[in-house]
Amino acid sequence: MEAIIQLNGVFKNYGVKKVLKGIYLNIYPGQVIGYIGPNGAGKSTTVKILTGLITDYDGEVLIGGIDLKQDPIAIKRKIGYVPELAELYDVLTPREFLGFMANLYELPTTVAAERIEKMLAAFGLQEVIDARMETFSKGMKQKVLITSGILHNPEILILDEPLSGLDANSVIIVKELISKLAKEGKTVFYCSHMMDVVEKVSDRIVLIHEGVVIADGTIEELKQQKGNASLENIFSQLTATESLNKAADHLISAFE
Amino acid sequence: MNRLLVHILLSPRFFYRKLGVNIAQLKAILSTKLLMDERRPNSLQQVQQKKSDKPTKASTLGTMIMAAFLGIVFIFPLLLTNDHLTQFTLFFTLLVFFLSMMLITDFTSVLIEVRDNLIILPKPVNEKTFLLARLLHIIAHVSKIVLPMCLPSFIYLSFNIKWHGVIVLMLLIPFSTLLSIFIINMVYLIILKITTPEKFKTIISYIQIVFSIVVYGSYQLLPRLMKDVISNQFIIPQKSILLFCPPYWFAGGWLFLYEQHFTPILFSAFLLSILIPILCIWLVIKYFAPAFTAKLSLISGSVTDEISTLHKKVLPNKKSRPFKEQLVNILTNTNMQRMGFLHTWYMTARSRDFKMKVYPSIGYVIVLLVLSLFKIKQRNFAAIVDSLKVDISYIITGMYFSGFILLIALGQLKISAKWKASWIYYTTPITTPGNIINGAVKALIIKFFAIPGLIVFIVGITVGGIAQLPNLLLCISNQLFITYLIAYLSINMFPFSEDELSNQRGKNFLYSMMILLIPVCIGGMHYLFYNNIPIVIIMLCLSAIAVWLVHGSVNELSWSKIKIKA
Repeated sequence: MEAIIQLNGVFKNYGVKKVLKGIYLNIYPGQVIGYIGPNGAGKSTTVKILTGLITDYDGEVLIGGIDLKQDPIAIKRKIGYVPELAELYDVLTPREFLGFMANLYELPTTVAAERIEKMLAAFGLQEVIDARMETFSKGMKQKVLITSGILHNPEILILDEPLSGLDANSVIIVKELISKLAKEGKTVFYCSHMMDVVEKVSDRIVLIHEGVVIADGTIEELKQQKGNASLENIFSQLTATESLNKAADHLISAFE
Repeated sequence: MNRLLVHILLSPRFFYRKLGVNIAQLKAILSTKLLMDERRPNSLQQVQQKKSDKPTKASTLGTMIMAAFLGIVFIFPLLLTNDHLTQFTLFFTLLVFFLSMMLITDFTSVLIEVRDNLIILPKPVNEKTFLLARLLHIIAHVSKIVLPMCLPSFIYLSFNIKWHGVIVLMLLIPFSTLLSIFIINMVYLIILKITTPEKFKTIISYIQIVFSIVVYGSYQLLPRLMKDVISNQFIIPQKSILLFCPPYWFAGGWLFLYEQHFTPILFSAFLLSILIPILCIWLVIKYFAPAFTAKLSLISGSVTDEISTLHKKVLPNKKSRPFKEQLVNILTNTNMQRMGFLHTWYMTARSRDFKMKVYPSIGYVIVLLVLSLFKIKQRNFAAIVDSLKVDISYIITGMYFSGFILLIALGQLKISAKWKASWIYYTTPITTPGNIINGAVKALIIKFFAIPGLIVFIVGITVGGIAQLPNLLLCISNQLFITYLIAYLSINMFPFSEDELSNQRGKNFLYSMMILLIPVCIGGMHYLFYNNIPIVIIMLCLSAIAVWLVHGSVNELSWSKIKIKA
């Protein structure tokens, strides 16, 4: 099977700071990738490259066999993106904002209108569908953003911390959604800090640290390599420079 | 109206399609952007906003009415003289200035919307569509301001000059608009050059504040200045040196086309008025726009977080620390007061909301002070000093006036957009909330009264001599009394712990009445007796006792008086 997302030696610098130092990754259709790493590891940068927000990277990114630099528009049609910060035009109502998104994906108006209503109802937002989002809670905005990411039924869904601000019930909905999308053959690129969720939803974990991939495999494979530890422990073993226990000790010793 | 505007802007569909633009997406972006403009407070509302619960609606109409209102100022130079060159040089000076100021504040929210990067760029929208949408949006936005702004002048002119003069003016205005856009771009570039993108928005807010003060000042001052100018027969001549002044080009260009004065200077002015704006806008599109979109995207991007935290090292400010420490030690006597003082000190210096609310009023007070000097009939400095010597009441009025800044700051003390952070007060073991409020009031007094008060005091002593000391001390003591009294009456919450929205109109009105009536009553009493020094001394003693008492009351405010909002 051909990989749907291929990153071949992707580098990115911000001035003198090297953020990505050669990322190599092949992702296959139907996979749910848990993309994890500590702060500043380069997760967001990778996501921004995949979604076409950063264009001045070095290396090759192929999505569905198309080079991202050659035809970004064709690639953007295949991708749904849910950004990390609840960035949306909050003076609009959910119906207006999602209608706008649907227009940008050139969905037929009637199809879009129907989907918007159904999806927002599924998230329990039908009551506020025509209210301006200025007063929405973070979780409500996040639900609108998730809807905007899947509205056009994309082949690839890129999620950057999609659960931030969501209540427990909504988290269950999103987790279910991810596994159902995967069953339909969609690829999900899930970028997060929340290890327990990543462990549950992903069928493959990619761990990056200081701009390179340092672990890649199913959760079972990683556990076997690291003596049956939890993902959280594997994460800290691979990325923490100093023992985290020691850090806690230092905190306690500050009282003395 | 937006629908009509979109329709007009999209009329050359065929041409756009040829350029490779996706019409459906273009229409979607443009109509959404215009809809959002409609719901955004406009540039002056941003400064003077009294936030209400109602969301902003039909902001475009508001902007247009406001622009038309501002445009009335442009008629003044037309009334001023019959010399067209002078009239229109001043007209275009005002136009370029007002337009730049109005647009500069909108450019961040409307024209360089950084959220576009996250929302539109990941969508399958090609670059041409995106750029054209932005360009058409700029045109729509600018014309919504320029047209109503010039309307009063058009109406006035259509009665006073031949009709084709108005048409010529209409032709030149787009070029002066281009020049204004160029000026804004330059200002942006300079700001971004000398400061970090994070500070950018703060500087734009300062410009906004200055703008609102200038508008206020020009409405107060222009009619007065006009009289002087008329009596002096002020006229701008045809001189080549004036070609360095851009508004002169447009005035010259107008004269060249309307009256067909074919002099070399007017011809050069005409050429410059057409060519320079085109050149400028070409420079903007070609070089400046890409550079600053890239820089501006840093403002909200996570890139800045990563980079700036890496490179910025917090240097301990060794020099200022002892001074502030000493000040706090002298002025506060408990830890709680100290906390209130420092918290207020930092918040008033760093919170943009606070500054946006308080700083314009400082400007208004300065404008009013300048105007009250105008009222003194003498025009040269020595004469002003002389009249101040004769009549110390100006100094006294000045002192009470400068106290308004402090009272306005006091009115904002409770309010903050980040009011939720006030949980710190409710979860910590505070015994007497009044301690914190007292500390906060002290910080405000030092920040907003010490300097203007000191200046007026020094001026008072210089012109009035030591004999006026009791009067000046009474002013200061009364001002402290007024401040503490109002604090006692109005403050029922911790500093920065109330939501802006819950600060309803009724309360605002009550506060405004209070800060008007109390100083007027107390200042009025002082005014009645200011020539009678023994009475002034007795009043000073009483006032000092009153300060001591009310200060104590504020300091002792207990939990039962405090409204808890969590």
